[in-house]
Amino acid sequence: MPTPYLVETHNLTKQYGKNRCVNAVNMHVPPGAVYGFLGPNGAGKSTTLKMILGLARPTEGSITLFGTPVSEKNRMKLLAQTGSLIESPSYYGHLTGEENLRIIQTLKGCSEKDISEVLKIVRLSEARGKLVNHYSLGMKQRLGLAAALLGFPKLLILDEPTNGLDPAGIQEMRELVCSLPAAYGMTVLVSSHLLDEIDRMADYVGIIRKGGLIWQDSLESLHARSKEQIALRVSHTAIALDLLRQNGIEAAQEEEYLLLPMMDDAYVANLCRQLVAQNISLYRIEKREKSLEDIFLSLTGKESSL
Amino acid sequence: MLTFYIRAVRAESLKLKRSPVWLAFFSLPIISAFFGTMNYTLNIGVLKSEWYSLWSQHTFFLCYLFMPALIGTYCSYLWRLEHTRHNWNSFLTAPLPLSTLYLGKLTQAVRVSVLANLWIFLLFYVCGRLAGIRSPFPREALEWYLCGTLGAVVICCVQLLFSLMIRSFAIPVGIALAGGIFGLYMTNRDYGMNYPYSLYCMGMRANNPNMEIHIPALLVNSAGYILVFAALSIFYLRVHERAAD
Repeated sequence: MPTPYLVETHNLTKQYGKNRCVNAVNMHVPPGAVYGFLGPNGAGKSTTLKMILGLARPTEGSITLFGTPVSEKNRMKLLAQTGSLIESPSYYGHLTGEENLRIIQTLKGCSEKDISEVLKIVRLSEARGKLVNHYSLGMKQRLGLAAALLGFPKLLILDEPTNGLDPAGIQEMRELVCSLPAAYGMTVLVSSHLLDEIDRMADYVGIIRKGGLIWQDSLESLHARSKEQIALRVSHTAIALDLLRQNGIEAAQEEEYLLLPMMDDAYVANLCRQLVAQNISLYRIEKREKSLEDIFLSLTGKESSL
Repeated sequence: MLTFYIRAVRAESLKLKRSPVWLAFFSLPIISAFFGTMNYTLNIGVLKSEWYSLWSQHTFFLCYLFMPALIGTYCSYLWRLEHTRHNWNSFLTAPLPLSTLYLGKLTQAVRVSVLANLWIFLLFYVCGRLAGIRSPFPREALEWYLCGTLGAVVICCVQLLFSLMIRSFAIPVGIALAGGIFGLYMTNRDYGMNYPYSLYCMGMRANNPNMEIHIPALLVNSAGYILVFAALSIFYLRVHERAAD
C-alpha cells in the first residue's frame, strides 16, 4: 500500500555498543511540510538523519523515502532527489564558493545554471569567487545550504542549519527554509534543539528524547496542548473530583490540584457554591497557562538542555 | 556507468585545483635525477654502459624511495580532502555508486603516476645528454616506462586503501616509504614479483643489470594486486560508517 508520507521510518534503531542512541523511531514526514525534528543535544537527531541519508546503517528497522523502501540498490536514485546539510557544512577551503558548488553540481549531474540560482537564493553571488577558507561561519553555512539546494531536490534534510549564525543570519535561514515548500515544492526535514526555532519554522513537529520519538503531530496540535486551565486546591480532593464529574466536567488531578478546562466566570462561581455546599473548603482557584516550553520540558524532561 | 565515472573524475579534477602536491610531483624526480646523474658522472670510469649505467643510478633512489613517497603523498592528499571539513557527508551522499567515486580518486592517482613517469623519463634523457652521452636513446625505454607505470598503479591502489583507512596524512606516506625501502630487500631476495611495492622497481628495471624481467608475471601480479586492493577500498567505503567516527 503506498504511504502518504515522503519520509517514513519504521522502528528505526541505532545501537553503538550497549548504547541505543536511536530507539524504535517511527517518523512520518508529510510531503510539502517543514518537519521540525526537535530534541535536546545528544537525543539522536543527527544519527536518525544520517540513517535516512544512508550515512549510518540502522541496527533495526526500515526507512521509506518517496514511497520506496530504501535499499543499497536504490540508494543512488533516492539520493538524487535529496539534498542535505548534516552537522557542519562540507567544503573544500582551498577552492572558491563557486568551485565548491561546481563539484556538487558535477556529481549530481544537474544544470550549471543552478549554481548561479542557488548562490542568489543564499545571497552569496558576490562572494562566489572568494576562497571558502576566507568565508565567515555564516557564509559557510549558507554555502552548505546552497550545495543542498543544487538540483532543487524534492527532499531537503537540514541538521541544525542555524548553528553558528548570528541573529540576522538565523532569521534569514528561517525565512528561507519556510519559503522552500511553496517556492520549489520541496519537503524540508529540519532538526534543532531550539524550541522557538522549530515553532517559527515548522508546520509539523517530531520530538525526540533519549533516542525515542515521544511526540509527533502538527504544530497546531502541540499548541493545542498549551490551552488555558483552571486549577483548584480544595480540602477533599476525591469528593470534589466526583462532584465535578457529576457535573460533566473532565477534571484531572495533578499533585494537590484539580485541573479543569477553561470556563466562564459564572460557571466557576456556580461550581464553588456547589463545593462549599458539600462542606469542601476552597483554598485556591488559579488560572493556568502552559507555555510551549513547559510542554516541551514536560515531554523531554527538565534535566535536558535546550 | 560511464557517465557516472566521467562525473566522478571531473569532480575529483575540480577538487585538485590549487593543489600543493604538484610541488612533490616536480621536485622529487628532479632530486632523484640530480643525485643519479652526479653519481654517474663521478663514477664514469666504472659505469661504462652509458644510458643503462645512468638509468641504474637514476632509478636507485627513485624507485625505492622517491616514487613510493610521491604516490603516498598524492594518495594521502586525495583522501585528506574528504577526511577534513566534514566532507565525508557530501562525498557519501553524492548520487553515484561508491565504486565510481573510488575510481574517480584512483584515476587521479594513476594520472599523476603516468605524468610523473613521463617527467622521470624526460629528466633521464636531458640528464643523459647533459652528462655527455651521445649514443641513441635506448628503444627499450618505452617498455620500461609502460611496465614501470603499471607497477606504479599497483602502489596507487595500495596507498589509496591505507590513506582511506587512516585519517592521518603522514602515516600512509611513512608506510609508502617503508614499503619502498623494504622493496629493495624483497627484490634482492627474488620475491619482488610477489611484493606490491617492488613491482614498480621491477617494471622500471631498477637494480637489474640484465634489464630483463618476466613480463607476463608482472602483468598478472600487477592486475591481481590492482583488483584486490581496489575491491578492498570499495568494500571499506561500503561497510565503514563515517557517522561513527
